[in-house]
Amino acid sequence: MNIPHLTFQDLLPVAPAGVLVVGAIVLLLSEVFLSTAQRTYQAVIGTLTALLAGAVAMNNAFEPARAALQGYVVLDPFSQWMTVLVCLGTALASLLSAGFLNHRNAERGEFYALILFSAAGMSLLAMSAEFITLFINLEVLSISTYALTAFLRRGPRPAEAGFKYFILGAFSASLLLYGAALLYGATGSTRFLDVGLALPQAFAQQPGLVYAGFGLVLAGFAFKVAAVPFHMWTPDVYEGAPTPVTALMSAGVKAAAVVALVRTFLFLVKGLSPEVPFIAFSALALLSMVGGNLLALPQRNVKRMLAYSSIAHAGYLLLGVAALFAPATAKGSDAVGLFTATPLLGSMPNVAASVYKGLLFYLLGYTVTALGAFGTIAALERREDETRSNTWDLERFAGLAQRKPGWAAAMAAFMLSLGGVPPTVGFLGKLYLFGAAVDAGLLGLAVAGVLASVAGVYVYLRVVVYMYMRPAPADAPAPFRHWTTEVALIASAVAVVALGVLPGPVTEWFSRAGMVFGS
Amino acid sequence: MNSIYDSRILNLVIFSPLLVAGLLAFLPRNEKGQIRALTLGGMVLNLLTCLWAYSRFSPTSPVEFQLEYRLAWVDDLGLSYHVGVDGISMGLVLLTGVLGPLVVLSSWTFVDERVKEFHLALLVLQTAMLGAVCAVDTLLFFVFFEAMLVPMYLLIGVWGSEERQMAAMKFFLYTMVGSVLMLVALLAVYFLAAPAGMRSFDYSTLYNGLMSANRELAQYLKANPAGDGAGLSAAALALLRYGPYLFLAFALAFAIKVPMFPVHTWLPDAHVQAPVAGSIVLAGVMLKMGTYGFWRFAIPLFPVASRQFQLLLAALAVVGIVYGAFMCLAQRDIKKLIAYSSVSHLGYCMLGMLAFTAEGATGSAYQMLNHGVSTSALFLLFGFLYERRHARLMSDYGGIAKVMPVFSAFFLIVTFSSVAVPGTNGFVGEFLVLLGSYKSNLPLWLSVAATTAVVLGAAYMLWMVQKVFFGQVTHQENLGLKDLGPREVVAALPFVLLIAVMGLKPQPLLDVIDHSTQRFVARAKYAAGEGPVDDSKVRVVVRPLPKDAVAQVAPTLPPAVPAHPTPIPLPMRPVRLQPAQPQLQPATP
Repeated sequence: MNIPHLTFQDLLPVAPAGVLVVGAIVLLLSEVFLSTAQRTYQAVIGTLTALLAGAVAMNNAFEPARAALQGYVVLDPFSQWMTVLVCLGTALASLLSAGFLNHRNAERGEFYALILFSAAGMSLLAMSAEFITLFINLEVLSISTYALTAFLRRGPRPAEAGFKYFILGAFSASLLLYGAALLYGATGSTRFLDVGLALPQAFAQQPGLVYAGFGLVLAGFAFKVAAVPFHMWTPDVYEGAPTPVTALMSAGVKAAAVVALVRTFLFLVKGLSPEVPFIAFSALALLSMVGGNLLALPQRNVKRMLAYSSIAHAGYLLLGVAALFAPATAKGSDAVGLFTATPLLGSMPNVAASVYKGLLFYLLGYTVTALGAFGTIAALERREDETRSNTWDLERFAGLAQRKPGWAAAMAAFMLSLGGVPPTVGFLGKLYLFGAAVDAGLLGLAVAGVLASVAGVYVYLRVVVYMYMRPAPADAPAPFRHWTTEVALIASAVAVVALGVLPGPVTEWFSRAGMVFGS
Repeated sequence: MNSIYDSRILNLVIFSPLLVAGLLAFLPRNEKGQIRALTLGGMVLNLLTCLWAYSRFSPTSPVEFQLEYRLAWVDDLGLSYHVGVDGISMGLVLLTGVLGPLVVLSSWTFVDERVKEFHLALLVLQTAMLGAVCAVDTLLFFVFFEAMLVPMYLLIGVWGSEERQMAAMKFFLYTMVGSVLMLVALLAVYFLAAPAGMRSFDYSTLYNGLMSANRELAQYLKANPAGDGAGLSAAALALLRYGPYLFLAFALAFAIKVPMFPVHTWLPDAHVQAPVAGSIVLAGVMLKMGTYGFWRFAIPLFPVASRQFQLLLAALAVVGIVYGAFMCLAQRDIKKLIAYSSVSHLGYCMLGMLAFTAEGATGSAYQMLNHGVSTSALFLLFGFLYERRHARLMSDYGGIAKVMPVFSAFFLIVTFSSVAVPGTNGFVGEFLVLLGSYKSNLPLWLSVAATTAVVLGAAYMLWMVQKVFFGQVTHQENLGLKDLGPREVVAALPFVLLIAVMGLKPQPLLDVIDHSTQRFVARAKYAAGEGPVDDSKVRVVVRPLPKDAVAQVAPTLPPAVPAHPTPIPLPMRPVRLQPAQPQLQPATP
């Protein structure tokens, strides 16, 4: 038997995931040997594990880009920084969960273990450089989140959400798998490196097969990223899942899927006409930016509204991806349109580095903001109101500024950051991404994006209106207090403002993400 | 004489209100008196720092931005915290500083709910406004420009009158639409103005970077007006192709803020619904951000495009002047009348600026300050009346002069200023604006139409004064109105003093803005081939960023590692360069 020779260096990229898995196993075992009913320590273990994994990933992030484990995964700053972001999101989510589950008498070790498993899946997904590895990691991630979605299993809502997520998730995974199979048929390999090398020839011989594979893989990813028109599952699932899990899904799953999408398509576009991926990503970006923001307009349910907003944010990320794939041959004389790249100075600059940095910074901003926003919602909702379905109504926020000024100020900061109003991290993130898009000459798309974001600002401001300008109803429930929730909310609120004012070394770190393997 | 404080004064000017807000946050919310006193103290302190800055400002110095301070901020974007004042921003800093304490005094008894939040919003707003006028970095300007929205939105939405939520939302969204488009345009300028690695959002980088392209384009268009740009350099070609759109994006953002016809519709709502303090700040300073934006960014950065749109914008300004005046004639609501008079007055401001003549620009700059004084004073005084009577319609009043003589005297003086009676500040500004527009290349009928509106202006203001103050007291409730108390007199007196001083002795202030107007006109004309051929007259010279930070502006990435496994190099750590140290060198004279 041919045993591959693996060194420590090969295991380096998967080390963060390893830490997460070990932490998850510890948490599972803790449930077996438990002697107290007090389970907050499990959240602390989950948080510390995630932070440790994040530290390991951060250490890896300064390594040069290279393939590892025989080219099945890659070690590059892009995926490692993404892992850091996922770990940050996981740490915040497990802190938020402690209070949330405690309030519902549903605190169990397996919840945190599932969170950590799904984080491990996200981390591995982002570094996969081979279709089977990619699929397995996608499933590790997905199955954990299916289970988490239905974790509060009493009541119809979690079951419905979990079932819907499972069916559609399985469907999208099978699309991805089918596309991968077609590409394997066309190129004879599942490793991205080899697929990329073989694609030009395969495309010349069987363009239909390659296009079909390309389209199916793209559709599979678009489901995970929740891009319009593959977004149908998002509002229902986000609404039905326990709120801290929704937060993790909106930030972590999306981040991992975007990074995996970029990595996959860096190889898959070889040989194709450069217009094809560009127009595909531009169309997805446009639909998601406009659709997400407009669909959020009529929502009174804040959790659903944030679900639509997460679709819009996926659109902004895809705008960056579209800039990455802008055809280099664009002529300066082309008219400005939605799906054309007209670089300002006539020749296409190299925007890859700024796109990667923009994506990461945007994801960082979105992670802390979304975790904070969903965390505030989690603290305000009441299980007993869920059947009356007003537990997430805007009315819940009425007069919050007078009842709890600190909570209201934090939520206002999260809302402004989602809307991209300075001086918050959301503004800087948008600045980076739209900067890259303008540099690549996507003028029409950038204008459409910022105009759509104004519709988004209206949506977010409505929450602020309720908090600051409406009187509190007499029976308004106070947010339940738990120290873990408060720590998480303070941390994310501080991060939203501090990173928006002084991003400090973070942007410089992310500059190194320009070294993406294979680009 | 320079002192090392000179380069720090502006930081104090900008951030002292924020510091006071930090202190205020620790006061218990029920201590209303203490909160008001602390805020007033903070605003007075802020005014003193503004005056200190003014005393260190030299109107005759050839240096454009004085009291400069620069610090690296986000290195990889070439973003720096860069503040400095030239003549016009010095004027606006003074205006903002003076209004600060008066705003607090005006709401001393008017606002009695959520007092702490109210004063926090005022202080944060003060910081944002001062930051916006002092910013030399365009993105810093943008950040402050946007940051102004949130406290103002809360001021209107929380402490306003009946329809406040709608008005606040309208205000926010209108401004946001303009400013996001401007952000895209700003990004485009950022990429156009400098090659990769030298990019920066600094005003000097953007202006100097576009300067030669603008000149090239202007000369080209002179030779062949309908040319398709063959033979132009890449930057000039881009300016030919996208310049008009970029200019329009900037112009839209600022036109909404001014507000110019036809994007003025948010203003009457915002003014009518805002509390007194909100109206004063909105009219006094925030609207000036629009005219200031045209002055500082839109016109100098795109001289060619602004030439192309000069007639259109000037026509819109005149339409605004006349339309605003007619709308005023039709109003029964006093606050709405003052709001529409703002539309009319700021039309003069824009007309003077778009004349691109020295008189017009001077008049425009002076009119900015005038409008800040006289319209704020109108809102302040009407606020006192509103606080007593809670009615906004003219028909609710009548014969007030008999009941409140002191108040009526104040109001009349301010009215004269607003009508631009000679001897008041309004006269100086309007006269210069009209003079400038007659001397300019704008068609004569525009100037004539603008001049007729002067008469209309007198008509609607005096009409209003007549209905409110003279005649018989028609309402029983008005008989018991108390005249101004000492606090209110203290709040109103500075305005009257300013009106008199600025009207009778305008020269010192005109001197302050003189260099700034000269530069503005030179920059506006530079591209048309009429201005100085000499670059050095228009080039923006600023203090450079300290060396090591410049190196960081665009980190040159190591080439991507080849796609196949390679021997493992040593782990690399990023070299964290030290943040730029502010240099302790003496500031510009």
